[in-house]
Amino acid sequence: MLKLDRVSKSFSTFQAVKSVSLTINQGEIHGIIGASGAGKSTLLRLMNLLEVPDEGEVEINGQQLTSMNSKKLRQVRKSLGMIFQHFNLVANKTVYDNVVIPLELANYPRAERRSRVMECLQFVGLDSLMDKYPAQLSGGQKQRVAIARALANKPQVLLCDEPTSALDPSTTADILTVLENINKSLGVTIVIVSHEMEVIRSICNRVTVMADGEIYDTVKCKPTGILNKENSPKYFVEQLTKDVEIDHA
Amino acid sequence: MLDTLGQYETEIWQAIGETFVMVGVSILAAVLIGLPVGTLLFLCRKGNMLENRFLFSTFNLLVNTIRSFPFLLLVVFLIPFTRFIIGTAIGTIAATVPLSIIAIAHYARLVEQSLLDVPKGVIEAAISMGASVKEVIFKFVYVEARSGLVLGLTTSIISFISYSTIMGVVGGGGIGDFAIRYGYQQFKTELMIYVIIIMVILVQIIQFIGTNLSRIIDKR
Repeated sequence: MLKLDRVSKSFSTFQAVKSVSLTINQGEIHGIIGASGAGKSTLLRLMNLLEVPDEGEVEINGQQLTSMNSKKLRQVRKSLGMIFQHFNLVANKTVYDNVVIPLELANYPRAERRSRVMECLQFVGLDSLMDKYPAQLSGGQKQRVAIARALANKPQVLLCDEPTSALDPSTTADILTVLENINKSLGVTIVIVSHEMEVIRSICNRVTVMADGEIYDTVKCKPTGILNKENSPKYFVEQLTKDVEIDHA
Repeated sequence: MLDTLGQYETEIWQAIGETFVMVGVSILAAVLIGLPVGTLLFLCRKGNMLENRFLFSTFNLLVNTIRSFPFLLLVVFLIPFTRFIIGTAIGTIAATVPLSIIAIAHYARLVEQSLLDVPKGVIEAAISMGASVKEVIFKFVYVEARSGLVLGLTTSIISFISYSTIMGVVGGGGIGDFAIRYGYQQFKTELMIYVIIIMVILVQIIQFIGTNLSRIIDKR
């Protein structure tokens, strides 16, 4: 459904993505993994034209994004949700007001906005925090708000740029569970960029490995499932001392 | 002291009125024109949504030039322009022309700086949601920058009061002019001190309101 055809992108002299072709299939959770600077984030940002490719074409459901005028492109972007490593919420708006923005942008019927926002917040389990400001939330809660915001317009695809890289292991597991849920129960196609192998392995059906701006390989895999990580100090101590014969300092 | 004050009460009130007119028009000009100009500077800057080297350099140069004039010289320099707009270069209304021009340039620069402080990620999120440039500015950038915009306007208003005090040179009046004419030129030092006290109180009140308002609306 989402197709990149020989796309390239350079930043001044650095070529971040070199003539990459990739197809994302409807309904899959597609991972993109690679070292820092491998071009995986740039590749993701090319998918909604947040970065405009120097060469090549981007296609969604047969519509060519690269040849669209800006009005049409904005229309298509409304059907593509995106979440970020640093959440990028509007700090001066409440949780509710953040989630309602995409509905305002899409001219969603005014009378139905409230129930749609509440529906999205319930989905991520944050309906009780609707009047809080982002500064009053934890990292995991902020990412849930960002997910609710991305879901508001019922997107076909959710693009995730390092969604768990700023979170601790247990919160990471929570967020991955939410993402998996979105895929399973809402049928949203998910593309997830991460440098953490465990994150990619736990939920992805197909994974693209990138190196030096090129695709090294794309492999099919069976998701290992999300391990519920403990966050207790006891667990940390166990992990630190297992297999090692040292005493408590 | 109160005797002399009573003697000049009408003049003082009139001078205060003139100052309010001059500063009021400056504030209007700053918000109605300075805010859009500052936003344009922000948008046209390299790497931003409407990157445009020509527009950016033009407005940048204009703002810098206006701000580099010693204000007294700007007032004199603009006399023909003022006469063209208002019909006369003398009086309180005429004085609002040079004041408005410096107000626009002054606030435009502060607006640009506040907007540049908005995290790039928030703007990216907006674009990824399909927001137009106008929507990015009104629904995201202004919302995130609002406390900086209020603080900038507070600083600007205090500068406008200071600028307005020299408008006596073109018959603009105002409390600054009153202090010079009566307090200094007629050796009524206590009158001058009284005017200074009024201005100190005025500036304190404005700064107090500005600081608190910007704190209340800042949820970051």
